Amino acid sequence: MLGALACVVLALIAGMIFFVFQKAWPSFTHNGFAWFSPWAGGNVDDELVHIFESPGEPSQYVYTMHAWPLIYATVLITFCAVVIATAFALLSSMFIVEFAPEGIRRVLEPVVRLLAAVPSVIYGLIGILVIVPFVGNHLVTSGQKDSVAGVIQLNGFSIGVGILILTVMITPIMIAIVVDALRAVPVGWREGSVSLGVNRWRALWTVSVRAARPAIVAAAVLATARALGEAIMLSMVTGSVGFAPNPLDGLIFFYEPGRPLAATIVDNAEGLSVVPFAQTLYAYAAVLLISAGFLSFTGWYIRRRLRRYTLSPI
Amino acid sequence: MPAVAQAKKIITISGSTSVFPLETQLARKWIKTKKGKGVGFKILQGGSNVGISDVSKGRVSIGASSRDPANGDPGGLVFTRIARDAICIITNNSNPLGNITQDTISKIFLGPTYTNWNQVPNAPISGSIDPIGRAATSGTHDAFRNIFLGGTNQGSFVAAKSSNGLVQQGVQSDPQAIGYVSLAFTNGVHVVQYNGVDCTLRNAASFQYGGVRSFYFVTRGAPVGKVKKFINWVLHSNKANKIIGSDWVPLH
Repeated sequence: MLGALACVVLALIAGMIFFVFQKAWPSFTHNGFAWFSPWAGGNVDDELVHIFESPGEPSQYVYTMHAWPLIYATVLITFCAVVIATAFALLSSMFIVEFAPEGIRRVLEPVVRLLAAVPSVIYGLIGILVIVPFVGNHLVTSGQKDSVAGVIQLNGFSIGVGILILTVMITPIMIAIVVDALRAVPVGWREGSVSLGVNRWRALWTVSVRAARPAIVAAAVLATARALGEAIMLSMVTGSVGFAPNPLDGLIFFYEPGRPLAATIVDNAEGLSVVPFAQTLYAYAAVLLISAGFLSFTGWYIRRRLRRYTLSPI
Repeated sequence: MPAVAQAKKIITISGSTSVFPLETQLARKWIKTKKGKGVGFKILQGGSNVGISDVSKGRVSIGASSRDPANGDPGGLVFTRIARDAICIITNNSNPLGNITQDTISKIFLGPTYTNWNQVPNAPISGSIDPIGRAATSGTHDAFRNIFLGGTNQGSFVAAKSSNGLVQQGVQSDPQAIGYVSLAFTNGVHVVQYNGVDCTLRNAASFQYGGVRSFYFVTRGAPVGKVKKFINWVLHSNKANKIIGSDWVPLH
């Protein structure tokens, strides 16, 4: 009975992957490597418009799509948010487990768990109503705006705000997992090192955190998966322009707009009735699916390598 | 749609998000009249293109469209104009621009020839221009292109938002922004005169205002049966006219 249920779930996943790839196939075959290539050139928004306006005859469908700016924005935002969130989550879980007074810990833990469950659209609203106007009107200078006028707009809708809010969104999830893992480390291990004269901080860092590494990786993988698939919030705050921000631009790099894959799907869902356009959106979905699969595989592999240092079942 | 024996006749509508509030009010009123008694409605959104594609495949009885018929549309569709709607050019309240011409709009949204407000005639502020628009799949984008830009697509530097409300919010929070929205979304922002005419219901009804688009009910072939009766009621009854006149522009 349970086995049958598990099989149904597996079949559903397999069916979904097959369906998405079957729909996405024309977009990949028409573009080949240029679909992914950073050097393919062209403007991704113009290409989307041309695909959307392609003639009704199947033989004349337009498929040209060089999706690099979207892929780049996805990777950039996800990577930055996960790196910052991992550091924050690790330090705050250490505080919660080891150093926080009982009163603070009792408040902190439920709040963290509550934060982990807040729907992303609420974060999006806060971003669009508070943070984006603040960045656009107070942080960006008019000189910076003028320097890129006519190419992009620095009005607060930016990858920087996206990274900031995404970090706030995924940190609580990571804290919740890492806290549990630190607690699961056998007390004797840490007590042993403390009895040898090591101070609390060092014992925590060299014993507990080390033993909890598989859980930290698991937390990072989970957070990355959520960040990759985040659509609504990023569609609201990152600028709605298929632009690839350039790190060489200096500080304004973080003020520059971009649009990740998932947000592009949400923004353009109205065009699903146009066949080649829908196939292009499915191609985005296929890339996200592959990355999610790749991600869980990497996470599994790293955890397996690290497990020899730990008793933790995670 | 295959003929299904039903005790209750159901009219299904899908399509434009801009037409949705209007068609919902109309349907609610019509089922209270003598002819509409016993008729049920199923109304879905999805965008003008979804409505047109649904009705051409027979999935719904009426497709709602906020854009004009296009060359690429499936054959055999009948577009019945039911109302008009104005598209307003909006700026931030701290930038009370008096008037904007079609030429200036093209130079901001197409070029960009104008990238700074001091290039715009009589602009009260200076600083770079932040143009905000709609995604290419929306009916409002299509209408803006045909009415204000002479059929050319806006440049890819224009931020492409996915709804009227997001454009409104973007303009409201950015002093240097300019955007275009449906008349119903102009609270909290400054509405600019277009070619010297205010963007109001009255001016749109008298055709003095140039930025007017049409709302359509699309059917496969000429409407028949209850669908025909509903559309006729929308076109000719005083009650329907009153509903349309509350936020949109009636045809007569």
